[in-house]
Amino acid sequence: MAVEFSPEARKRFAAIVGGYPKKEAALLPVLFLAQEEFGYLSGEAIDYVAKIMGISAARVYSVVTFYTMLNMKPIGRHHIQVCRTLPCALSGAEKITAFIKAKLGIDVGQTTPDGKFTLSEVECLASCGTGPMMQVNDAYYENLTEERVVEILRVLK
Amino acid sequence: MEKLLLRNIEAPNSHTLELYRSRGGYRALGKVVRELSPEQLIGEVKASGLRGRGGAGFPTGMKWGFVPKDSPKPKYVVCNADESEPGTFKDRLLIEKDPHAIIEGTIIAAYSIGSHTAFIYIRGELVYGANVLQRAIEEAYRAGYLGKNILGSGYDLDLILHRGAGAYICGEETGLLSSLEGGRGWPKVKPPFPATHGLFGCPTVVNNVETLAALPWIIDQGPAKYAALGTEKSKGTKLFSVSGHIRRPGVYEVEMGYPFRQFLEQDCGGVPNGRKLKGVIPGGASMPVLRADEIEGVRMDYESFQAAGTMLGSGGVIVMDDTTCMVKAAWNIARFFAHESCGQCSPCREGCHWMEKIFSRIENGQGRKEDPDLVLSISGNIQGNTICPFGDAAAWPAAAFIKKYRAEFEAHIAQQRCAVLASE
Amino acid sequence: MDAVKLTIDGKEVTTTKGTTVIQAAAEAGITIPHYCYHPKLTIAGNCRMCLVEIEKMPKLQIACNTQASEGMAVETQSPKVLAARKAVMEFLLINHPLDCPICDQAGECWLQDYYMQHDLQASRFAEGKQHERKREVFGPHVVFDGERCIKCTRCVRFLQEVTRTDELTVVDRGDHSTIALFPGTVLDNPLSANINDICPVGALTDRDFRFRVRVWYLQKTPSICPGCSTGCNISVESYQNRIARFKPRINEEVNSHWICDEGRYCFYALTDVERITAPLIRQEGGLVPTDWKTALGAVISVLSGAQPVCGVLSGRNTNEEAFLFAKLLRRLSPQARLEVYYRERKLTEVEKILKSPDRSPNFRGARDMGVSDDGFEPLLSDLLDGKFRSAYFVGEDLLREVAQGEKVRQALKKLSFLVVQDTHLSETAKLAHVVLPAVNFAEKEGTYTNRKGRIQRLRPALVPPAGARQDLEIFSLLLARVGEPIRRATPGEIFLEIAREVPRYRGLTYESIGNLGVQIES
Repeated sequence: MAVEFSPEARKRFAAIVGGYPKKEAALLPVLFLAQEEFGYLSGEAIDYVAKIMGISAARVYSVVTFYTMLNMKPIGRHHIQVCRTLPCALSGAEKITAFIKAKLGIDVGQTTPDGKFTLSEVECLASCGTGPMMQVNDAYYENLTEERVVEILRVLK
Repeated sequence: MEKLLLRNIEAPNSHTLELYRSRGGYRALGKVVRELSPEQLIGEVKASGLRGRGGAGFPTGMKWGFVPKDSPKPKYVVCNADESEPGTFKDRLLIEKDPHAIIEGTIIAAYSIGSHTAFIYIRGELVYGANVLQRAIEEAYRAGYLGKNILGSGYDLDLILHRGAGAYICGEETGLLSSLEGGRGWPKVKPPFPATHGLFGCPTVVNNVETLAALPWIIDQGPAKYAALGTEKSKGTKLFSVSGHIRRPGVYEVEMGYPFRQFLEQDCGGVPNGRKLKGVIPGGASMPVLRADEIEGVRMDYESFQAAGTMLGSGGVIVMDDTTCMVKAAWNIARFFAHESCGQCSPCREGCHWMEKIFSRIENGQGRKEDPDLVLSISGNIQGNTICPFGDAAAWPAAAFIKKYRAEFEAHIAQQRCAVLASE
Repeated sequence: MDAVKLTIDGKEVTTTKGTTVIQAAAEAGITIPHYCYHPKLTIAGNCRMCLVEIEKMPKLQIACNTQASEGMAVETQSPKVLAARKAVMEFLLINHPLDCPICDQAGECWLQDYYMQHDLQASRFAEGKQHERKREVFGPHVVFDGERCIKCTRCVRFLQEVTRTDELTVVDRGDHSTIALFPGTVLDNPLSANINDICPVGALTDRDFRFRVRVWYLQKTPSICPGCSTGCNISVESYQNRIARFKPRINEEVNSHWICDEGRYCFYALTDVERITAPLIRQEGGLVPTDWKTALGAVISVLSGAQPVCGVLSGRNTNEEAFLFAKLLRRLSPQARLEVYYRERKLTEVEKILKSPDRSPNFRGARDMGVSDDGFEPLLSDLLDGKFRSAYFVGEDLLREVAQGEKVRQALKKLSFLVVQDTHLSETAKLAHVVLPAVNFAEKEGTYTNRKGRIQRLRPALVPPAGARQDLEIFSLLLARVGEPIRRATPGEIFLEIAREVPRYRGLTYESIGNLGVQIES
């Protein structure tokens, strides 16, 4: 099946590209759009983005692999990203990660069998004063305790 | 002390144009575009003594002055909102609570160099902040602060919000520009410098969020008033992000030159739980750590931190109490830099991982007697030899942890386990 | 051009404004060690090997990105520089496998060379080495070893900047950074193998050459690529009298640092043939070996009597050979039609960077020597129309080279006499009445004149098999039989003859042509 933007996404693509003085500068926002559309950036998706951006697939591939927020593999519906950097570590991030691992029965880097959660450890998210913290998809959850984690995981559908 | 940077953040709806304007917002912009020539504006900023708040502390007015006035190429201003330095979260506060101050500052900076396109490069993870900024930009367009003929002055400026996608190195200004050009966030070899060959090879100024957010107040209240604050060489106020083992973590606006010990113990409430201070990193994870006994007499300005053997950096204050294993802390930071090294130049690409592996080994009871000196040697071999300041940023803390807590490293190696955590 | 004076290691150096320190040093005969810097690629500045100390600058600077300026004092051997170089070497080697004994780059590896010059310490790296992709085939000519790669990005930049085909890129980051193709693609462009040449280490090696012979056994002969009329300067590298590889030889007037893949591997078709080592003559039942005297006698006696005659010379014959061939056939028959084989094909944009549309490296020189009447195509069509009674073909298998092969066969069969001079019994030669065993491009000395009028020297890299004779010698012997003996028949002496007789070559000698050739007016 050919990977292609929906008509709606195509409009957004045109708007994104139109907003930049040079087309190549729009690559990151276009990749975000593609990731939103296709779930992750497969080889086909990268090839498609390269075509519509008028640059080589190799270049897009190079960019995708540089940034942590761009995924070349499918991930769970909720991407739990626990900060592991020093300020959060001082505030007990390790314990939170261990708790989530036990709770979900997966290791860091894994996805639950139902495809609901992927667990990652990430570097500093600029939330050092409110650690431990995690980001789930776009949202920050700060000042985490085990109780709060239970509550958050319960609410996430 | 009167708050300049945090003047609005506690007000309800501080992120709205209405609130911002009700407190004198965009008054400075009106003055700039109607009354000041770009040269006069640069003069005012030079007179204020404002220095870049991203970490390097370079004088802002001077940086603008490097942009060639007669260049036929388009010129760009980029607001660096890629706040990623561990221990630093001040820009995020400004972004979420006072976006119009950043926008107004960015417009002022753009006017100073005759730029008609500006960007805010925000780290991709800050989705909420990006939404706040985007709404604020739209408000500013509608109110005539952005777009064509700003406030009837004939000056045009477009402002584009651009999200990063997860890479610490994009906070380095040329890494940021590479990223904004649609590439990997690879820092560029210098010279040439961004002032002449920046974004798309055009003259470009990159300023930190906090630097830009200080501009409206400086212009509105006058540079002399700003310059009257702080010390002789470190003027004005600075935001410090405080985290770790501290009673009241958060973002503080401090007049430059404020006593560091007093700040930690009184303003921030000191180390909690009856514990003792063991060490503190004053300027974000890339700066050398200070032992508790080294902070006496240190003042919170560029010069005083430097005299103490560290740097003010981004003002990310990470506090560690006496339960902290310094080997583990050093490893944590080394791991951060190993993860974030862009991999472009040999000393950083290889050296960061090498140091991380050694720290990991020591922490896990596999240390060797020669390891501390080896890390010092590797750190020395990275310093000054890389494409961008990241190499130093990774090398300094590694060396500092070993120099300052050598006995702890040696005990860890000798006993093949952690003496600090074992004593708990 | 503004002149700039600086000192490098105390030596006063004058260069032009805009020159970098690494270039200025090179001009002064001082090599500053480097990996990522390449004079034909943009500056990457990533290897950090060329760090030098510059007076009044607190930090070491990379020589590849520092412009020479008036009064600058550069130190390339100071203790600080030597320490930095040693440090960079150590960094580059920590994850590098210790596999020199099985690495094909050994002997021409910059890591090995610089280790010996600048490092020479036991490894302080006690960790497990980073593992990476091994023996990944990138394309028909290139194989990649990720563990040996130092991420200098020369290959990536070559493909971005020279061919603009952009196949390779850097993926991932930190010490996981690696060179890769976009999955599902191959590295197959007309210049692809150049990245093997510019890879300073054993990360990219030539699939054809690798494991063939250790490079220190190679005998290197500067010569000219016989692939087309661009005349790329090459080094013919041989072992035990066989060509092992072609390498580009730098000539900014012709091919810069590059050669095309077609040219690089063209020696196989030209040298991997079953050689004939005695003249052959047609008798009842086919071609049988004979002696030179009989063969040459037959050529002269029959050819002069079977007119009209046409002569076709290969585009790989030298100027000297063409000169004598023209003399010979004109002497045999003033009406003889002469041509040098020349046909064009379509080239892609990437091919056009180096390739010419022909496969006749010396067509222009041959024409200059008089091997030219109305062009090759009219001659071919006259040949097909049966307008000649005899023909003398040198070094070109027309039956295979020409699209209308079957028609050519019929036409050749109708000839009353056909002489073929070649290295092997080609399809065309099988139809001949006399076959003269000759030598290939790598066995002869002479000159080629490229498409743009540059005269360049071909040098013998191999010894021809016993029994075969130099084309030049064959022509001389034949000329002697028609009463025009050539007294001094070495290529250099014949070239002096050319320099006397052919106006545009007037006054030239082998010495004046030198290693990089001489341009005649076009």
